[in-house]
Amino acid sequence: MSAKKKILIIDDEHDVLAYFEAVFQDSGYDTVVARDGLEGFESAKSVKPDLIALDITMPGQSGIKTYYQFKKHPALKEIPIIIITATDESYKNLLNELNGISTPEVFFSKPIDPEELLKVVADILCDNNKEKII
Amino acid sequence: MAKKTNKASSKSDLEKYINKRLFDTIPLGIAVIDPDYNLVYANKAFEQLFGSWENRKCYHVYKNREGMCSYCESAMTLKDGLPRANEEAGYDKDGRHIHYFQHTAPIVDDDGNFPYVIHIFTNITEATQIRDEHQVLFDQVPCNILLIDRNFRIVKANKRLREWLGDPEGKYCFESLKGLKHKCTECTARQTFADGRIHTGYHVWKSPKDKTLHLHVITVPLKRADGSFDLVMEMAVDVTQTLKLEDGLKFAHRFLETVISTSMDGIFAVNEKGKVTIFNPAARKFFNIKDNQVLSREELAGILPKGFLSQVSEGPGHVYLPETEVKTIDGESFPVRLVGNKLKRSDDSLLGMAFSVQDLREIKQLVKEKLEAERLAAVGHTVAGLSHGVKNLITALEGGMYMLNSGLSKGNVERIQKGLEMLTRNIERISLFVKTFLSFSKGREIQAKICDPAEIAKEVVDLYAVKADELGIALTNEKIGDVPPAPIDYESMHECLTNLVGNAIDACQVSNGDSCYVTVRTFEKNGVITYEVSDNGGGMDYEVKKKAFTTFFTTKGLGGSGLGLLMTKKIVQEHGGKIDLESKPGEGTTFRIKFPRRRLPKIKA
Repeated sequence: MSAKKKILIIDDEHDVLAYFEAVFQDSGYDTVVARDGLEGFESAKSVKPDLIALDITMPGQSGIKTYYQFKKHPALKEIPIIIITATDESYKNLLNELNGISTPEVFFSKPIDPEELLKVVADILCDNNKEKII
Repeated sequence: MAKKTNKASSKSDLEKYINKRLFDTIPLGIAVIDPDYNLVYANKAFEQLFGSWENRKCYHVYKNREGMCSYCESAMTLKDGLPRANEEAGYDKDGRHIHYFQHTAPIVDDDGNFPYVIHIFTNITEATQIRDEHQVLFDQVPCNILLIDRNFRIVKANKRLREWLGDPEGKYCFESLKGLKHKCTECTARQTFADGRIHTGYHVWKSPKDKTLHLHVITVPLKRADGSFDLVMEMAVDVTQTLKLEDGLKFAHRFLETVISTSMDGIFAVNEKGKVTIFNPAARKFFNIKDNQVLSREELAGILPKGFLSQVSEGPGHVYLPETEVKTIDGESFPVRLVGNKLKRSDDSLLGMAFSVQDLREIKQLVKEKLEAERLAAVGHTVAGLSHGVKNLITALEGGMYMLNSGLSKGNVERIQKGLEMLTRNIERISLFVKTFLSFSKGREIQAKICDPAEIAKEVVDLYAVKADELGIALTNEKIGDVPPAPIDYESMHECLTNLVGNAIDACQVSNGDSCYVTVRTFEKNGVITYEVSDNGGGMDYEVKKKAFTTFFTTKGLGGSGLGLLMTKKIVQEHGGKIDLESKPGEGTTFRIKFPRRRLPKIKA
């Protein structure tokens, strides 16, 4: 039996975290939560998640900076990241601008459709698995 | 014989004449002195010059002296028998100072001794005076004068020229004055030598120190009575300064002309009689006046605001109307900024008036467009912010619904409970969100009252004291120096500081450090009241800082409306102040709001 996939959810809003946690856990994923970018980054280093769900607008360190941190970290840069945010789309430019850093796997705009979110997450994790097997 | 007798008689008459009369007829003063300097004989001309002489000594008569002269020519002639001539100064019979030429000759007796000395006088007082006057004139006249001979050598130079050139006498003029090795191609002196006439010209001289002089030169022949001449007098007036002034004046004139003709502002002027002398192209465009059309005083008064011309001419000299209406020549009104200046001579008499006019039509249009653009941008921000807030709220509501539904289908009571809590909480948030939004959109007018700025800070800090204590945050209030009371809207400023202190406390909660602090400082420097709210909380990165003051931007998820800092900024601006922030992620944030006293709101009566 293969180990459960681990998803790190980074969002500053308690109710949103509870919601996403329930959605992912109900589909058989393990979840780890963080309330801001710095906490999320530290947590990722120890738990090595299979996927990260990242919010953009957060106190302290924003999602954009956190995204770059992940993508520049040798051990964490391969982890797929999906962005789930209520922010307008202008921030996307900030994520597309930098050379040599891959863009996020997918952008989700709040409110989300849980089924769609789960489907995308399953696809990403499955693809990743295949790549690893090959 | 008779003839002979006649001859003899006429000869004796002549001798008699020579012996008796000639002496008195000679127009030169003649006197004879003995070895003791007593005057023993003198003729009429002498008497006319020096007055009575009998029983007097020569030095007493000539020089009004009591004792002998220190240098006495007569004494020498009495000794050596040689004649002498000398220029002397003394006093005439009326005590006037005179110059005379004195010949001194011995009278020799049969034994070859010199018992007497004869003095012959020529009065040269007038000539001496003329000569002296000429010398003074030659040296002191405010121009350079030199005499040149036919070989172009300088024979004489006046003092002014010598001071400048050293001693040029004997040198070639072209060499001394211009540093040339050959004669000048154009030479006024040569022209004068050629035709004997006066010539004028413009010369440039170079001093030995390489200073350049510009001169206006006149050459005049120094003619003898027969018309012949060998010398030319050159008089050169220094016009360097005049040329410089002329150049400066020309430049200033050209500069002014360019500025006036290319100015974007309308510029026009009238002289002391009210005649329009300047009306630049911009003014013609504004007032719709053709290029060749001359404006009368009445027409000018007609296009300007009523009474403006007399306001300028009769007032203290400067009239500034920041916004007024003028008319085109066709009578169409338009808004302008108008300035009128009285131009005065140094004696305060009226020289004329100058005006400048700025067309406000375009500016007004731009201001209107800018306001419109800002309004549209604000609408855009509002919509974006609203949608952000709404999206977050919907997500949370959906979360609640999900928990409720999944709890129901799984029979998980805990989850049902959680779902209900989430729904209740977020419905409350929706209500708060709408209220805050409404209060912001309504706004309220600032009502300034004199109050103690530091007192507001103290009250806000007191308000948060309990919460800070519970959270383990060191919240302190500092008043630095004296901050006198000022006109401030107490409630608005209270709200402002409440927002900043509240933010700082929130920032501390997301910080990783153990000992957190929030410090509020109030101080005044150079008439600027400053509040400073610092924390060592989470700090902000670039993207957050950039958006901190925009509508509905929040990093607090559903905990913040995104309106706090925007509201704060609005209040600060309404008090004529400025807000800025310094922040580093992980190190903390300082918000600083500054109010220059002179820009604080006025107290409404």
